[in-house]
Amino acid sequence: MEPEASSFESGEMLATFLASTPLLRESWKLCDHANTAAPRSYVTNRIGEVTYVAFSGVQMISGLESNCGNLKPLVDCDAKGFFRALHRHGEGDQEPVKVHNGLLHLFLHYVIENPNFYNQMCEIRQKSKSIVFTGHSIGGTIASLSALWLLCDHHSFPSTPSVLCITFGSPLLGNESLSRAILQERWAGNFFHVVAKNDIVPRLLFSPQALITPQLHSLLHFWHLFMTSPYLKDPGVDVPENIITELFHAVLFCAEEMAKTREGSAGSLFWPFGNYMFCTDEGAVCVDNTMAVLKLLHLMFAMGSARSSIEDHLKYESYVWEVSEQISQRRGHMQMHGELPESSYEAGITLALQSSGISTHDPISGSVKDCLKMARQMGRTPNLNSANLAIGLSKITPLRAQIEWYKALCDECDDQLGYYDTFKLRGASKRDSKVNMNRIKLARFWDDLIQMLESNQLPHDFLKREKWVNASQFYKLLVEPLDIAEYYRSGMHRSKGHYLKHGRERRYEIFDRWWKERRVGEEENKKRSKFASLTQDSCFWARVEEARESLDKVRSESDATKLCALWENIDAFEKYARTMVERKEVSRDVVAKNSSYSSWAEEWSVLKSQLKQFPSQCSGFLNGEVVP
Amino acid sequence: MAGGRLGENIGMREELIKKASSLAMKAHRSPGKPFLSEKSRGSPEIIIAFPGSWSVGDWFSGRSFGETKVDNLFPSVRSIGNDEVGLANEAFIRRFKEILRSLENEVKKAERRQIIFAGHSSGGPIAILATLWFLEESLKPNSSPIPPLCVTFGSPLTGDRMFPHALRRESWAHYFIHFVMKYDIVPRIMLSPFSSIERELATILSFFNPKSANFEQQSIGRDNMTLNFFMIVMRNASSLASHAACNLMGCTNLLLETVTNFIELSPYRPFGTYIFCTRNGELVVVKNPDAVLQLLFYCLQLSSEAEDKALVAYTSLQEHLVYERELQESLEMQNVVYLDLLEELPLSSDVSSSINRALNELGLSTRARLCLRCCWREYKTGCEVRQIGYYDAFKLQKEDRDFHANVARLELAGMWDEIIEMLRRYELPDGFECRKEWIKLGTNYRRLVEPLDIANYYRHLKNEDTGPYLIKGRPKRYKYTQKWREHAERLSIGSGSESCFWAEVEELRTSNNGSFDAMEDRILQFEQRVYRWVSAQELGKDVFLDEATFMKWWKKNLPSQHREASCLKKFIGG
Repeated sequence: MEPEASSFESGEMLATFLASTPLLRESWKLCDHANTAAPRSYVTNRIGEVTYVAFSGVQMISGLESNCGNLKPLVDCDAKGFFRALHRHGEGDQEPVKVHNGLLHLFLHYVIENPNFYNQMCEIRQKSKSIVFTGHSIGGTIASLSALWLLCDHHSFPSTPSVLCITFGSPLLGNESLSRAILQERWAGNFFHVVAKNDIVPRLLFSPQALITPQLHSLLHFWHLFMTSPYLKDPGVDVPENIITELFHAVLFCAEEMAKTREGSAGSLFWPFGNYMFCTDEGAVCVDNTMAVLKLLHLMFAMGSARSSIEDHLKYESYVWEVSEQISQRRGHMQMHGELPESSYEAGITLALQSSGISTHDPISGSVKDCLKMARQMGRTPNLNSANLAIGLSKITPLRAQIEWYKALCDECDDQLGYYDTFKLRGASKRDSKVNMNRIKLARFWDDLIQMLESNQLPHDFLKREKWVNASQFYKLLVEPLDIAEYYRSGMHRSKGHYLKHGRERRYEIFDRWWKERRVGEEENKKRSKFASLTQDSCFWARVEEARESLDKVRSESDATKLCALWENIDAFEKYARTMVERKEVSRDVVAKNSSYSSWAEEWSVLKSQLKQFPSQCSGFLNGEVVP
Repeated sequence: MAGGRLGENIGMREELIKKASSLAMKAHRSPGKPFLSEKSRGSPEIIIAFPGSWSVGDWFSGRSFGETKVDNLFPSVRSIGNDEVGLANEAFIRRFKEILRSLENEVKKAERRQIIFAGHSSGGPIAILATLWFLEESLKPNSSPIPPLCVTFGSPLTGDRMFPHALRRESWAHYFIHFVMKYDIVPRIMLSPFSSIERELATILSFFNPKSANFEQQSIGRDNMTLNFFMIVMRNASSLASHAACNLMGCTNLLLETVTNFIELSPYRPFGTYIFCTRNGELVVVKNPDAVLQLLFYCLQLSSEAEDKALVAYTSLQEHLVYERELQESLEMQNVVYLDLLEELPLSSDVSSSINRALNELGLSTRARLCLRCCWREYKTGCEVRQIGYYDAFKLQKEDRDFHANVARLELAGMWDEIIEMLRRYELPDGFECRKEWIKLGTNYRRLVEPLDIANYYRHLKNEDTGPYLIKGRPKRYKYTQKWREHAERLSIGSGSESCFWAEVEELRTSNNGSFDAMEDRILQFEQRVYRWVSAQELGKDVFLDEATFMKWWKKNLPSQHREASCLKKFIGG
């Protein structure tokens, strides 16, 4: 079957849906209130089950200034671990997740130095079913960070409300890694940035700070004055025309450069994330593909003038009102002399173009059309994708079954090595290499699946299906021991470090999370009458390997403190392993007579008895005391 | 598009529609009685018309959308496999129950005549529920009545998505005919949460009440409150319609799902045949419930910014009271358009054709037409299932004990799971679970393969990991296919579990250390079931072979006294 794309353009329909809900209007109302009534602070409002938290657009001006305007790795600035879930993204050779230093400090100022804020957030989390963070201008970035914080902190609260972040004319916040991390965590749907077609602020950070700082200062002053006193017709101050023009051209130039960047090549530049809703006088479109967002940010900006780029930042009131009024009118009457394409998809694009405020005769209409099409769901529709995955799963199941047989064979074999060690010490037999091939094929299948999931090609509720969660868990329990075996067999631990810290594939961590987050019924914890068919901790063997290493080191180590640490490690592992075995949570290969675990346990008890005869400085251990 | 006169197409004579509308309006004007009935001498039909009610409490009970589970009153309004029960408006159900006793008597008097249940405004839901009740009654043994008809005029929505689903599955949907004037506000009211229209609703309803001082008063219709009410209802209709359209268009943006946690979307959905009427006598017939939902919103849209909103809002009240007069004329003119082939709907409004005339008359923009086009989806998905080759793959040849048979078993399981998943999300045609070929296939598959799965389950001791197979481990593909058969053959729920025979044996074997006294009741019941299954040849006699687990257990653990008296004795040799 040919890959078939969705035959409709849904970005504009999504914008219509959002405009018809009360969310957009209520958010803006509160943002406006925060601007006038609570500069440098925030306001909250509860409507039914939903709590709105709006950050004022008037914040400490230093936030956008040059000295702290650089992208900084999140790991370095987040000592208290508000965004712990994001730290692990961008490990290894990837670019780390970075955010705007000044904006991050603005947020940290709220959570750390303002106990009222922290307590109020905790209270809202307990009492509300759902929470909307919102903010105009710089307030939008604080709203984004607050939402990110709650999403990262998802597990520390028993019942977490749904989180949505709606910003109006917010500057950019972080780099491409942040954007990718949000996609991978499946949080892109929690962020929603409303951008007026010409507003300069969402594009501001495309340009290097030093270039624009002097102009920016007077501009921020001008905006703040307007935000705090909306009824002021003539504030008496104005920004000189030449400053505005200079700024506009600087930003336009950089936006154009950005629009040419390709994915993955913009390590240290600002990058959009989440959904963008572009508002024009004609309507609105919603786009979630970041490349399309980048291009549209430039194209729509280029249509405006220097003056409108400044004024649009203050026009959200009328844009929000406009889009929610438009739903009551019949729009898109296309009587353009046969220009209307007959295909549903092309017609939808033409309508979306119209909503973007661009006529089909406009020279840039072609490029905008391309952007809108880029945002389309490529490939098959999600449901078909998942149908095919199900078939894929059933096709690879025989590979898994072969590994299962292999395990049964190893476990029954006379050499009493067990599954793990047989594979680790395998020769060049056909059977062994077949199992290894299967292992690789299975990994590919699951990696592809994760990739599809993270690029939104699967249905929303994919992870709520027990089948996939169970299959991934089973796969993990069966195959991860082989991966560990391969890791230590090929000596990777010597070059890269131990498996648990440095060698574990990302998919296993993801599967751990799925398994933890699955809906758990009232599981009665009955005792097992036999050893489990698969060891319930898939990393068991990695722990064995580390304990083996510790044991080797103990023999040669002379430094007392280091020795104590080693003792402690070994002791902890022994306790852990013993409970696992006692509760029969391990499969029989662990206790096979010649397995690494059995031989380790033997060596360990020999060593212990030797030490009993010659009490050393660490003898405290053996009496059950823990030496600090 | 299919043509023909309206009456022939929808299965109800024009003259009968007119009579029904007259009687419904008569009932509307005399709200004291539970219903009016009319049977002309020699006519093969009897019309029963229900009056509406105008107190807010008779429209919404409680907060939110005032919905409740329909439960045992309408057992068919559920999904078979998912076992999800339908929701309906609690206030309407309550009013229906109040008149049920006297309605029963009236229905008995109908004898061999076809009954037409009719209702205007909030009398419509009573007519709908009465029809549904009548259809449920006709399922009972020894009754073969003439199928009824239901015709409503400006009826508010009554039930949730389970109604269109179940009614199409049972092939009942075509008995329901709803007339809706283009601007009539009442069919749209239920799309708004009660809290949003609480302030205005009482006054709006009094506009329709012949006994009220506000009846048809311009002062109400022209009031700002009416405009406000109209805008709220329209906005909520838009939320629901655009949300549905996003889903139909295959939008995968996670934002769509996130946002639904923050807002209230109405559970109510249209079902049956809808006929949208314009003041110019145009009649547009729509049978696809998704398309009806879109039309309920798009017909309300204003033609331009300049159009007088307040006037349209006033019209939206007036049009609720014009059915009798308008239908007399429209039915004479017969300007009927059938919106069947939604996928081919013209997008541009300037092509001249009868269908475009009607669409323009309803005021449908290109955007609206796109939304109608995407409602076509459902049937497409149904075909896709076949294209992937599911059906052929299911033609399991023979049971084969080698590895490849096992692979086939696994592949089939994957496909069944996917079908179940689609059912769970209502993406297959509504009648799917009633299709004979699929029920047969499902039953064969279940009887052949489930015992293997059970054996595997107990061999791997999964009962110790997860719990007993029947409670914790049974895959949905078997539960669903069992329920299909039970529904089709009208068996009691749970009685068709012959494919779980081995799981029950395993559980009996392992529980309570196999002591007989503690489980005597359970064993007796089980034996009776086995007796029935074997007698009906649903279970093979091979289960009684001496070497089979069942016999070993039966002979070893059960006292001989019990064995002698057992109903299974006659199957067991020796």
